[in-house]
This record gives sequence, C-alpha cells and structure tokens, in this order.
Amino acid sequence: MKLSFKGGIHPLRELHEGKGKTHSQPIRDFVPERVCIPVDMHIGTPSAPCVKKGDLVKLGQVIATPVGGIGIPVHASVSGEVISVGPRQMLGKTASTCIEIANDGKDEWVELSPLGSVDSAPADKIVQQVKDAGICGMGGACFPSHIKMMIPEGKSVDTIILNGAECETFLTADHRLMLEEPQRIVDGLRLIMRAMKVSTGIIAIEDNKKDAIKVMQEAISGLEGIRVAVLKTKYPQGGEKQLIDAVTKRQVPSGALPIDAQVVVFNVGTAAAIADAVIHGKPLISRVTTVTGCVNTPSNLRVRIGTSFQDAIEAAGGFSEDPGKIFAGGSMTGLCIPGTEVSLTKANNGIVVLNQKDAVKKQPTPCIRCGRCVEACPSRLNPQFLNALNDLSDLAGMKKHNVMDCTVCGSCSYVCPAKIELCATFKEAKEKITARRV
Amino acid sequence: MHEKKLTMRGVFVNGIINENPIFRLVLGICPTLAATTSATNGLGMGLAASFVLLGSNIVISLLRNLIPDKVRIPAFIVVISTFVTIVQLLMQAFVPALYDALGLFIPLIVVNCIILARAEAFASRNSLLLSAADGLGMGMGFTIALIIIGGIRELLGSGTIFGTALFGASFEPMLLAVMAPGGFLVLGLVLGLVNAITNRINARKGAEV
Amino acid sequence: MKLRLSTGPHLLNRESTQTLMLDVLIALVPTTVAGIYLFGTKAAWVLAVAVVSAVLCEYLFQKLSKRPVRVMDLSAVVTGLILGLNLPAEAPLWMPAIGSAIAILLVKELFGGIGQNFMNPALLARGVLLASWPARMSVYYIPARVLGVTEVVPAGTDVISAATPLIRPGGYQLYDLLMGNIPGTIGEVCKIAILIGFLYMLFVGTIRWHIPVLFVGTVAVMTWIMGGDPLRAVLSGGLLFGAVFMATDYVTNPMLKVGQVIFAIGCGILVGVIRMTKAYPEGVTYAILLMNILTPLIDRWTSRRVYGMVKKHA
Repeated sequence: MKLSFKGGIHPLRELHEGKGKTHSQPIRDFVPERVCIPVDMHIGTPSAPCVKKGDLVKLGQVIATPVGGIGIPVHASVSGEVISVGPRQMLGKTASTCIEIANDGKDEWVELSPLGSVDSAPADKIVQQVKDAGICGMGGACFPSHIKMMIPEGKSVDTIILNGAECETFLTADHRLMLEEPQRIVDGLRLIMRAMKVSTGIIAIEDNKKDAIKVMQEAISGLEGIRVAVLKTKYPQGGEKQLIDAVTKRQVPSGALPIDAQVVVFNVGTAAAIADAVIHGKPLISRVTTVTGCVNTPSNLRVRIGTSFQDAIEAAGGFSEDPGKIFAGGSMTGLCIPGTEVSLTKANNGIVVLNQKDAVKKQPTPCIRCGRCVEACPSRLNPQFLNALNDLSDLAGMKKHNVMDCTVCGSCSYVCPAKIELCATFKEAKEKITARRV
Repeated sequence: MHEKKLTMRGVFVNGIINENPIFRLVLGICPTLAATTSATNGLGMGLAASFVLLGSNIVISLLRNLIPDKVRIPAFIVVISTFVTIVQLLMQAFVPALYDALGLFIPLIVVNCIILARAEAFASRNSLLLSAADGLGMGMGFTIALIIIGGIRELLGSGTIFGTALFGASFEPMLLAVMAPGGFLVLGLVLGLVNAITNRINARKGAEV
Repeated sequence: MKLRLSTGPHLLNRESTQTLMLDVLIALVPTTVAGIYLFGTKAAWVLAVAVVSAVLCEYLFQKLSKRPVRVMDLSAVVTGLILGLNLPAEAPLWMPAIGSAIAILLVKELFGGIGQNFMNPALLARGVLLASWPARMSVYYIPARVLGVTEVVPAGTDVISAATPLIRPGGYQLYDLLMGNIPGTIGEVCKIAILIGFLYMLFVGTIRWHIPVLFVGTVAVMTWIMGGDPLRAVLSGGLLFGAVFMATDYVTNPMLKVGQVIFAIGCGILVGVIRMTKAYPEGVTYAILLMNILTPLIDRWTSRRVYGMVKKHA
C-alpha cells in the first residue's frame, strides 16, 4: 500500500515533476578551479574562520571552527591556497563570511581518522565524529545532524526515517544517490540507529522512483529492523511532518519537533555523509546536486561545497536560453539567487534555471473561492480565509487560525487559479508575528 | 451646523438634503418599504407623516418647558398619537381609497422613529418657528424620498406614474418591483446612488479645499 | 544578467480562472446543443441574447466605473449561458437581456465583482424573472421534436403548452425524461446532456462529486420516504441542472468539504420540502439561493483539524 497524508498536490504532473531531464543521468564529479565557502551553512551561530589569506590548506582541513552549542566546523573542499577571507553576498539576507580557496588540483587529503566499520565503530563516539565532519541536514534544512542524534532528557525515539521522498520538483540528486550508492545510505542509517540505540529504520521513497525502491530493497535485504516504505508521489511528501504522518501515522504536535512524535528524520544524502565520516573519517566536502532547467546538459553533479553557481551551470553545459530566474532547490520552495557568483552549500540539492518567459510574474486576479488551496494545504489550514484576514491586516486573527502551522510549502500558491501569492503572504505574516510577538 | 446659528431656511433645507431621513439618516424604513408600491401611496404616506411631524414638532416645542424630563417620551407619544388620529380620520373621510391602500401603516405613524427622533432631538430643544421648519423640512425630505422610491417601483412594477400609463399596452410590468423584495432592492439602489453622488461631491469639495 | 527574485513556488499550475470557466463552458456544450436541437432556433436566440448582454453589461460597468475589465475571464459568459439555459425557449428576447443585466450588474458587479457575489448571479436573476413574470416563466412548451416537426411552432398560435412533469408525474416515459422530450427550460430537459457535462467536469477536476451527488441523493431519499418515485423526482424539473451547474458555483458554496456536504444536503432537503408543500412548481432555484445565503455562516461554523493538533507523545 502506498503511504500518504491528507492534502498535498502533484506539481508539474505534465512535466514528470520536472525530473525527466535528469532522472537517468548518472552522477558526474565536478571539481572547480576555485571555491568560496561560507562559514554559515548550518542553522546556528556561524563558525569562526581559522585560516587566513595565503595559507595552504589540504582537502578536508578544518578552515572554520564551531561557535556555540550547536555549531559545526567547516572544511576545505579543495586543496590549495586561501585567496581571501571576507564577506560576500550569498543566499542569505545579509552578507556571509566566506573563505575562498584556489584549487591546486592535487586533492591532497589531511590525515583522516576513521572510527571503524559499520559494526565495529564505537557507538558512543559516532555523534562526535558526525559533528567533527561538519554534517548538517542535506535535504535543505541545514540543521546540524549531531544535535538530532542526541536524544534530549525525557524524550524517546523509536523510529529513524531516512527521507528519500524527494518530492520537490526538478530534483533527482537523492534519486541518483539511492540508485548508485545505496550501500553508503544503508551504512549511514545503521550507524545512526546504533548511535541513537533505535531498532527501527525506515527508508521512505516516493513511488515515482521505482528503480530506487528496488535498489534500496536489495541493499537492506537481510538487515533486521530496516525496511523501505513506498510513498505516494505527492508534494510535500518529503516535508518532515508529512513524511512522519505518512510513514508512522503519527502527527508532530503543533509547535513541537519531530522527536515529540518519537521520530527523527534524516535525508538520505545526510546518511551517506555520516557513513563516509564514520567509516572513512572523511568530512563533508562534496554533495550531489541536480543542475537542470534551461541548461544545455542537465546533470546530476557531485560538486565540492563552495562551488559557484556559475561553475556548476557551466559544468552542465551552460545556459541554453537567456536566464530569467535561477533558484537553489526545486520550483516549489527554491530560493532565488541574485547572481551566479553565489556558492553551493551543504544544503543545495539543486540548481534550476528558468528562461525569461517562465520567470515572468503572473498577475493575481480576484479570489473565486474555488477551494483549491483548502484542498491542497497539507497543514489543513484554510489559506483562502487566512488571506482574507491578511487583507484586513489581522495578524492576531491569522495566528488564531493557525498560520504559524503553515510550513510554507507553496502548495496553495501553486494550485491557485487566481494566481494569488498565498504562500509568500503567509511567510511574511509569520515573520511579522514572530517579530512583533503578536 | 451646530456651531452656526440655526435659521429657518437652513433647518428646512437640512431636513430635505443633508439629513434626509431616508437617504442620509436611514430612519423610518418600515413605512418606506411598505407604503411605496406606487408614487401616489408614497405621496400620501409622506404627506400624512409630514402633517404629524409638523403638528407634533410645534406642540412639543410649545410644551418643551412644561414636560418633566422623566416622562417626556410618554408625553411625546400622546402628542404624536393625537395628530395621527386626526390624520387617520381626515384620510378616512376625504381620501378613502388612499386610506385603504395604506391601511395599517397610517396608525403605525405613531411609532415612526423619524417623528419621535425629531421630537426628542430637535423640537424639545428649539423654538416654535425652528421646530416648525424642522418638521416641515423633515416631512418634505421624507415625502420626496417616498415619491422617488414609489415612483421607481410603480414605473417598473406597473408601468405607470401616479396612475398614468407611460408605456404602450405591450409593456409587461416587472411584478417583483411592487413586491416586498422590490422595495428593498429599489431602496438599496437609490441609497447607493445617493451615497455615490455624495461621495463625488465631497471629493470635489475636498479637492477645492 | 538581471535575475528575478521571488519566494516560491516559482512555477504555477496552468489552471486559471479563465481555464476553469472554459471547462464549465465545455461542460455546458452538450446541454446547449441538446436545448437548441430540441427547441429549435428560438432557444439559440434566447441563449445568444443572454450571453451577449451578460458580457456587454460586465464590460460597460467595468469600463464606466474605471475598474479593470475582466471580461476575458469568461465568467460573464458562463453566467449568461446558465441564465439562458434556465429560461423557457419561448421567452421573449427582452427577458434574457434583463435577466443578464440583473445577474451581472445587481448580483455580481455591485457586490464587488467576480468572487464577491453572495448568491449565484444566474440563479438570482432567474428568481427575479420568475417573481416578476411568472406567466412567462412557468409555462413550458413541449419541445418541437416531440411534435414531430423540425421548427418550433410560432408562439401563441398552436403551441401546445403543458404542465411540467412535476405536476403530472408518471405522465412521461423514462426515455423521454432522459432525452429531454418533456416540457421545461432550454437547459434542464435533456438529462443525458447534463450528465455528460457533469462527467466532463469531474474528469478534468473542475468540480468534486460531493455537492451534486449529495444534493440529488437527498432529494431522492426524501421522495422515497414520502412514498414518491425517487428516479422520476430526480429526472424531473431543474434538479439535475441546478445540482450540477449551479449549486457547484465556487463563489457561493462553502470552502471546506464538511461545509459543502451540509450545503448539498441542505439544498436537497429544501427542494424536498418545497416540492412536497407544492408551494411552487419547482424548488431548486429557491433551495440553492437559500443555501447560498447560509454559505458564510456554514463557513464560519465548520472547521477541520489542523495538522499537529494532537497530544504530545511521552
């Protein structure tokens, strides 16, 4: 039986969710001439640079050390000379401190300290190893993984879910990773389960990736406590809350964390990175990302962290049309980039280039109360009513009607025939409510 | 208006235009809806109410220093009902057809809130002449509004104005206009139109200032 | 290189107000064709006048009041066509014109344009016409096809006027009820055409099944309880047309599914009650209009469980 949740949409159905161009493209390695690595790729206080201009760094060397409780280190993703350390405009609202390194092409690793195999690595050291490898959520959330692996006092976890749903449009990075490197993912899952002392592990995959389901099922055969859950192809199936609902039939209480449903979710890419960190001692220096849209050879690239969008797009054959909009991630929640000089981070699962025509803003028309948004909302809110409240600037009313439970998934905006920017409205309202403590 | 000294002319015009009981104050809606199935009914109702308004305003203004404050409402009602009875008997005697058409709504003038409102808000505080002018102005404003609404409804619903057929025999009247919903619709539309015109005039005044 | 910045989603569904209205128009094609086939060119004229005057009223109002002209969203065409289909074929041509003006100007534009009308415009216009010219609106003519001639016989000479099947139940064969060989308005008689339109709208996702099915189902159940023939009750009068094309009007039915269920069952009960008391020959118009008025209240009273409104696990 295909697992699912209430609400949701099937975006870009007629385009095979936009994934057709890349789902059968094998992962290609790409190493740029130069990387520019921001030190604030994870949620939490930015790390502090510990190299300066002119330093020679090796591959995997720590170039910024963690600050504060949930910080993680940043590693050099190429070997070579540090060209600059300073602020650059990245995806964030303000400039980020970035460390620019010129690649000497040698890919000379620092000394690595592996913990051992999947079964022999000491369970109590895994979390520290994950932290030292600078791993954070690679599905887009950028939350430091070692924090998730530490169960707070008074909470319990009985299930680990690996998120291979990849419900976002255009993206095929996780799909290719599952197809080509299933062992890394399974190893990562087993390590997480050992470190957290959890006996149930579920790899959740949407049924539009039948080949990946098959490969993962083979990879887990004979392993106790691990299974593959087949999900209905539906957006936002890979949203943490929806995923937990679909797989375990539990709901994350409003305002709480997944751990309150006794579940912790990791992206499949994160699991693979954890396997590398524990078994080989390698920090997180590269990731798979899908470069698609109006590029000449849409590809799944394994890029070094800090590669510029420009380099990644050129690696995918360059623009095939005059670009009108470029975003990091899929078309539902992707973040627009102001220019191609920004860098790919640990959380960048895709680059999509839209042409001028598709980038044009659709003019909103009056609401006709068709109820599409109400049907689509996976949080089961009433977007039409919330929007009406927003028109009255009634932030308190919006809060009362649960706007804070909006996950900003974009489903409502996507289906709206009147092209009203519901999702953007709620995002703004949520920010205002938080800022003004309404 | 309250700052300026009240003049008879000002008070009179005020009742017709600025504070038209129907179009501006939206008072006395019950007879407005019920007694406007034709222009004649509207005129009759308007004149009857005007007579009561004029009479009660004059008497209440004269008695304004004699009526104790605590019992003023019963006293006003007694004065008003006296005039209503006079009107009722006069109409029954001289225009029995109109009396039959308006029926219950003639005695109901007693509780017409325009009349009590003017007694309370104006006549009990102002001199005889001003009160008379106010009663006359308000009465005229009421009558004019009723004729407009009644005229529209009669024209649409019967194809006549004051009973005179305006269209040929092939005209098929719109029954709804003389039914209850027609009263609401026409009142709403005329109110909306008056508001639109007022807004436009105010905007122009604002632009000049 | 100038890149546009915005928050997601960056690509939207192709569906727009215009395509939705176009789908409704496509769904109305079988009914329109059947109506014209059954009643002849007179019906075509009524429909044409209704549509043209609806569009014209909307265009002129928006132009004169300096509002954005939204005629291209096709909603006025839908309103006009549905109104036309709600009229008898023998209606004089001023009736569709006045009806469309009432629907567009009074019900839609004066209340703020598309999306703001508190009642279904076509239906309220039909209600106004029904109240104003009851003689014109409730005398139905047997379609020309039944008489075995290809042209509608001129009005007033030898047209056969007949009671609607509602008044004389059992007087018509099931086949005639389905195919539309019965007296009635242009659009309501041919049930097969209405069902084709219904299936089309379900297939392309314009509407969900809840409102039409529950509406018709409630009427059938009520008729059965009262000892009538449910099938005939469903196939008679304007019930099917109203349930498929008018009760499903987005603007005037509730937002939540639970609200729509209440709305549909409410419509069904009202039709049952009106038909039973025989106060009017046909209750569908008033039933839907009354439930239209209740829609804001239903919206206010209904809610659904928001995700995460659960007790925290230990």
